[in-house]
Amino acid sequence: MSRSPFDRWLVVACACALAALALMTWQIFTPTVWPVIVAMSLGQVLGTASLAAFGYVVFADSRARRRANTESPTIKTD
Amino acid sequence: MSVLSSPLAVIEIASAGLSAIILVAYLVFRPPLVNVTKLWLLLGLGVFPIGAAFSGNVHGFEATKEREFCGSCHLMASHRADSEDRASGSLASRHARNAMFGSENCYVCHANYGMFGTILTKAGGMRHVWLALTEYRGTSIEEARRTVHLRDPSQMNGNCMECHSTADTLWSKVPDHRSTLEDVRAGRIGCASAGCHGLAHPFWVSDKAAKP
Repeated sequence: MSRSPFDRWLVVACACALAALALMTWQIFTPTVWPVIVAMSLGQVLGTASLAAFGYVVFADSRARRRANTESPTIKTD
Repeated sequence: MSVLSSPLAVIEIASAGLSAIILVAYLVFRPPLVNVTKLWLLLGLGVFPIGAAFSGNVHGFEATKEREFCGSCHLMASHRADSEDRASGSLASRHARNAMFGSENCYVCHANYGMFGTILTKAGGMRHVWLALTEYRGTSIEEARRTVHLRDPSQMNGNCMECHSTADTLWSKVPDHRSTLEDVRAGRIGCASAGCHGLAHPFWVSDKAAKP
């Protein structure tokens, strides 16, 4: 099966999410000023961005599939 | 306190771990984007990270009340050390030894009260972070001692009066309390001042605080 054209978006989303999770977990083990602030700001931004990128990929992928289906309709035979 | 003794911390770590497993597996195997893959990615990029963020944020907000958090700024190191010194006679240390204050004694005494008290306290804390980053990053404690001071010392009596109401008979039996009642309630005389109960942090008297 061919790879989705949005594959790169998903790789970036996964990398952002992993970074966000690392920041969120860092503040658990080191509850001092900078880890907590970074987790609650940069961590949240990265996590939200990764989810938004995933949402975009799902939306764009389903639209592309729908478009492909309408452009190559199946031939009906009686 | 051990990390694993907090349920929120356990939920955060578990959610982050499950999410990381899914994401790393996706990056390693790179499966085609079929419905099953989307479902797994929804768990790895949506459900588990949201769980981790929610529990991590609540845990983080709780952590900001701890003395360990306040004392992690280099300017507050001596305040923290004094609070944790069981032999210290400062107001801060004596209150820290009270179970009602305990390890959250900085927050309990300095927090704003009222409906938006927590939010105002956190906003004020961000101001402290900003000042620490912009003005006091490389400042020595000795140098900071001359300038760091309470923005509005008159508000501090209100925090004392959350516990010491000034309205009970035991309090009123003290002649000095009776004679200064209105001034104390109006914040004109500080409970934690040199002539009364002593400074909360007697080792930290700024030049600005000393000026009338």
